[in-house]
This record gives sequence, C-alpha cells and structure tokens, in this order.
Amino acid sequence: MITLTHYLTLSAILFSVAVAGIFINRKNLIVLLMCIELLLLAVNFNFIAFSRYLGDTSGQVFVFFILTVAAAEAAIGLAILVVLFRTKASIDVQELDEMKG
Amino acid sequence: MAEIFLACGLCVVLVVDLFVSDRNRDLTFSLALIVLIGTAWISWTTGHAGQVLTFGGSFVSDPLAQLLKIFSIAAVFVSFLYSRDYLKQRNIFKGEYYVLGLFALLGIMVMISAYSMMTMYLGLEMMSLALYAMIAFDRESPVSGEAAMKYFILGAIASGTLLYGISFIYGVTGSLQIGEISAALTAGAMNETSLLIGLAFVLVGIAFKFGAVPFHMWLPDVYHGAPTSVTLFVGTAPKLAAIALAVRILVEALGSVGHLWEPMLLVLAVLSLAVGNIVAIAQTNIKRMLAYSTIGHVGFILLGFVAGSHAGVEAALFYTIVYILMAAGAFGMVILMSSNGHDADRLDDFRGLGRRSPWFAAMMLLLMVSMIGVPPLAGFYAKWWVLTALVNSGHVWPAVVAVLFSVIGAFYYLRVIRLMYFDDAEGEAGAPVAGGWLMRTVLSANALGVLALGILPGGLLEMCARALSG
Amino acid sequence: MLALIYFYTLAFVLVVAAVGVVTARNPVHAALFLILSFVTSAILWLLLEAEFLAMVLVLVYVGAVMVLFLFVVMMLDVNVEGGRGRFTRYAPFGGLIAAIMFMELGFVVWWRNLGLPVMETPVPHDADYSNTKELGAVLYTEHVYAFELAAFILLLAIVAAIVLTMRRRPGLKTQVVSEQVKIRREDRVRIVKMEAEKD
Repeated sequence: MITLTHYLTLSAILFSVAVAGIFINRKNLIVLLMCIELLLLAVNFNFIAFSRYLGDTSGQVFVFFILTVAAAEAAIGLAILVVLFRTKASIDVQELDEMKG
Repeated sequence: MAEIFLACGLCVVLVVDLFVSDRNRDLTFSLALIVLIGTAWISWTTGHAGQVLTFGGSFVSDPLAQLLKIFSIAAVFVSFLYSRDYLKQRNIFKGEYYVLGLFALLGIMVMISAYSMMTMYLGLEMMSLALYAMIAFDRESPVSGEAAMKYFILGAIASGTLLYGISFIYGVTGSLQIGEISAALTAGAMNETSLLIGLAFVLVGIAFKFGAVPFHMWLPDVYHGAPTSVTLFVGTAPKLAAIALAVRILVEALGSVGHLWEPMLLVLAVLSLAVGNIVAIAQTNIKRMLAYSTIGHVGFILLGFVAGSHAGVEAALFYTIVYILMAAGAFGMVILMSSNGHDADRLDDFRGLGRRSPWFAAMMLLLMVSMIGVPPLAGFYAKWWVLTALVNSGHVWPAVVAVLFSVIGAFYYLRVIRLMYFDDAEGEAGAPVAGGWLMRTVLSANALGVLALGILPGGLLEMCARALSG
Repeated sequence: MLALIYFYTLAFVLVVAAVGVVTARNPVHAALFLILSFVTSAILWLLLEAEFLAMVLVLVYVGAVMVLFLFVVMMLDVNVEGGRGRFTRYAPFGGLIAAIMFMELGFVVWWRNLGLPVMETPVPHDADYSNTKELGAVLYTEHVYAFELAAFILLLAIVAAIVLTMRRRPGLKTQVVSEQVKIRREDRVRIVKMEAEKD
C-alpha cells in the first residue's frame, strides 16, 4: 500500500527540484516565479499527506489558506514584474545589477 | 480588539481616498493618523494581565502582545510623519501609500498576537505583500522596482521554507496551535532527527525575515533601492514582528527543545555580527551602510535568544525597541537631508553638516554614538544587558566576540561623525538643511528620546520584563 | 496494489513535469509544464481523499493563476532565445544544493522514518463521506479568524496590483459613462426652424 513515506519522498523531490530551479534558472524572472509556485505545491503535498495520516483536518485548512495567499502573491509578483519590465524593458535576472555592494 | 478597529479604519481610508482630489490628499494622511491613534488607544486600554486565548486558540492577548503592538503602532506613526514631505517632493504622495502602510501594520499586529501557525503565516504574508508593493511604489525609479523584485523572490522562498518546516513540525506534533505543539513536545519522547529538519527549515525562514547572515542578501539592496521613507518603514516596525515570530515559535512553541536550535542560532548571530560590522566599513552609500549596521544589530538581538534564559529574551526585546528608535532617527535624518529634491544618500552628502546646521548634526551625533553603544545613551544599555545575559548563562566566548565586533563597528559610525564635523562641504551642497517644521520637530524628539532612554532606561526595561513574565 | 500503480505513474509524471518547468527554454512551455504538474498533483490529492482541495487546485490554480501567468508572458513579449546560454555559471552550484538537500531529506524520511511511530494507512472513508462538508464545518467555526484574514489579504492584493500597474495615459479615448447617460436631447439635437420654400 501507499505509505506516508511515499508522499513525503515525492514532496521532498518536488521541493529540491524547485529550489534547484531557483538557483539554476537565472535567465527569466517569470520562470523564477513558477519555481516558487512549485515550492508551495511541495509544501501543500506535505500538509495534505500529514493531515490524512494524522486524521486531522487542520492541515487541509492550512492548505486552503496557502492556496489563497499564493494566488495573491502571484498577482503582486506579476504586478512588480510588469513595473520592472516597463522601466528596464527586460526580465533577465542578470540585468538586475543596478545595485552592488 | 484593536485589529478590528484598524481593519475598519483602513477600509474607511481606502474609500475616502477615492473621493478626494490630489490637492486635498492631506485629508487621507490625517485620517490615517487618526486611525493609528485610535488603534493605539484601544490596544492600550484592552490589555490583560494574563494570557487570554480566543478564536479557537488562534489569537492570544497577553502583555507581550500589548507592548509590541503599541511600539509598532508608534513606529508606523513616526514613519508616516516623516514620509509626508518626502513623498510630496517626488510626486508619489498618494492615498494608497498610507492604505498599504496600514495593511502592513495590520499584518504585523496579527503576527504579534498569533497563537497558531496558520494566523502567524497569514499575518506574515499580509505584512510582506504590503511591503513589496510599498517598495515598488515609486514606479519611475528603476532601482526601486529591482529592489522590490529581489525582496519578493527571496521573501517568497523564505515563506516557502518556513512553511515546509512548519509542515514537519505539524507532522511530528499533530497540531498547528502553539500551546499544543509545546505540550506535545514536553510530553512525548520524540525522535529528534525528524524534529530537527523541521526546525532547521523554520529557522532559515526566521533568519530570512530578520536578515541574519547568510540569509541577508536582500537587506542592503532593499534598503538602498526603496524610497527612503519606505526604507524607514521596513527598517522599524517589521523588526518587532520578526521578534514576535521568534518569541512565539522558538520560545513558546519549541522552547523545550532549545538545545537543538540554540547552536544553530549562535552560528547565525556570530556570522551576522562579523559580516554586518566589517562590510559596513566599505560602503559609500549611507542607506547601504545602515543596512549592514542593521545586520550587525540583528546579530546582537539573536544573541539574546541564544542565552536561552528569561533575561536573554528580555534583553533582546529591549534591544529591538531601542534599535528601531535609533534606526527611525537615522533614516529620518537621511530623509531630512534629501529635502531639496535629490536623494542625499551618499555619505559625502553629510560633509560639513556640523557647520551648516549644528543642531541636526548634534542629533545625528547622538544617534551614531548611541549605535556604537557609548554610555549614557540607550544603545549602551541594550548591548550591556544582552552581554550580561550571555555571560550569566555561561556563553562567555560569544560575548567576547560580540564586544570585539562592536569595537570594529564603531569605526564606520565615527566616520560619519568625522565627515560632519571635520570635512568641508563641496561646491553648492553647502546650504543648511531645509525641511518642514513637522520633520524638524519629529526628528529632534526622536533623537532626544534616545538620550532620555539612555539616562532613564529602567521604565522600558521593567515594561519588557513584565511583558515576558505573563 | 492498484493504488500503488496509480501512485507511481502519477508521481513519475509529476517529477518529469517539475523538471520540465525548471529546464524549459521557453517560458510558455514552462507554464504548460506547471499546469501539468498541478493537474497531476490534484489527482494525487484525490488519492489522499482531499477532494475539495483537489478541485480548488484545478479551478483556482489552473483556471486563474496560470492564466494570469500565461497572460503576462504573452503581454511582456519576452525575447525567448537570448544570446546567452540557458543556464548561468551557477548551474552546477544549484544542482549541488538540490542534491545535498534531497539527500538530507531522504536520510530523515527513510532511515529515521521520521521518528513517527510508523503510521498505518488510514481506512478509506465511506462513499457518502463529504470532504467539503467537513472542511466547511471547521472553516467557519474554528478557523473563522484566519478566514477573515485571508479576505483582507485578497483585498490587499487587489489594491497593490492596481496601484502598481494602473497608469493614466494622456490622450486615451475612453468612455465616460456618466457623461453619456447624463446627455439630454437638447445637447445633441438642434431643431432648426426653416421657412418653407415656396415656389
């Protein structure tokens, strides 16, 4: 049967891939935002699996709120992206180098 | 409940602002201030001596919450006062700025009295989202967009890590409520390895929010890139929220496994002290310099937690409050200097200030000397109590390291003082500082407050002690 | 046994999709991979009997958030094939971090078995069990405070997104509805009295 370990491993893989994506992909800011969504998906997986195996609904309620907040976060992130694109005409991560120190 | 009043108040400000023309924008500004005063009054009068839980145990009202709330409201109030002239000169004096500020404050207050991981997370996100938008507020400036984007990406990763850690703690203890987590940890003999991984992720999240090394990358860029009035906002009230996060999660929920997180925190604290104080010396921009100085101060605050004793947390709380007072004054000074149009954020802009406007140079002198930690100013007592708590709990070598790095740190504060008094201004920059009466009064009161707190620190310390005894 | 086959198939698809998001050269492809990974996760959540959340994930995420993502990708009209390579010099470093992290997590999850008393698989609920009902029952009672906070976060997101992106361009031809409604006959129609023409 499927055990808790199966789900936790899957979410650990997702989490690692998302973090690796954030480090590797310095080309495009939109892909960076997508990696963050993937990171939150891994977290949600953990919560749902624990919630099921503990027989406790509060984990699922938490996931509900994480989904809400993540949607708000995506909206604001994309708004900042649009502002940035208007002033710089680029969303290349490597061009975010106005400030150094 | 103060939060309800604040939430209603900010909706009123939002709606009123819609019907106000750009010329009468001061109405929104004063309305926001009235909301803040009302919120402060309600938090002041509705305090409890003990701990009261409501909303299914997700909301807590205790003396600690009351103290932190009143100081964060005060910090937001001061930063609004500072911001008015600055925003007007840059044509970004809009009502939404104050609405977003009130949203951030609401998030901070929710975090302060959160007693479940769920409300803690929601408060944290409300605060962070409002701050991201405020940093990007000056849409014309390329640096502020860049700063907002960097803060957004790193902040989102931090929340993700924090949540991942919380999910493991939830899995191990079976609860999201802080009291129940603490009870489960003291009752059951858990395998520590599993807890450790959750703890490590939670700690990374907290360190990100504080800006401790090695998770400090966002701080200098955000301080530099944001409009100075927003920098002032980011540098003050959210620090109180971060300390609330640390107290609730580390001390109240995971206090019984302190031996697991204290060594990790110690490493973070020592690294922060080292990087903050050494890198600050190389900066030529005062906002960046103050950012690195923040990192150094964060090191001290974390050391208070490392002590693991009651006195240590108390000292950390006192340090944070004193620190935000000093930071508000220092950034207020940068805003005041920028009054005639350009951003005076280079260190060179402070040249010859002693001759141009002796009064404000003296105020800056007070703030800088207090940050170094010279008696009889407030900064001295803050450092002193953290060190005493450390030594009393047997951590002698971290205390020695902390003293060593504060001595190194004194160098760059002294450089500001040298520029003000012993160097001459170049070219046309020789004019005395301009600025409205409001700015001048607030700044003077702020700096003199540091002095007063240094002479009479007893009252605030007693308040901190009472807040934590409940 | 059947459930296990489902699990492995879906998990494989999910991991491939996630790697696709990270490595895709074209942001549109990355977004489509992300949609695939969301849909696959939704099915896996069904296996965990979290029906309501699975539906919300598909409706809200795939239906709204991903559309927003695609919209922005299209609007910004990003130059897909940049001059530089896909990855930067940080690529090996990033891979290393991921590998270390996965090894640590694997160590905890497998060897130590999380220190949990190995939880037995819970009994599946009856056919008439409603996950939505159960969530609704706690959402509006125990977690009502969090619910109100979430509402304020959404309001904040609306305010912030509008403040950041709305701008008034001069010379834009927009309709002013109130003016159109207020218009009276006299403003538009002028009745001209004319002498009748006589032969």
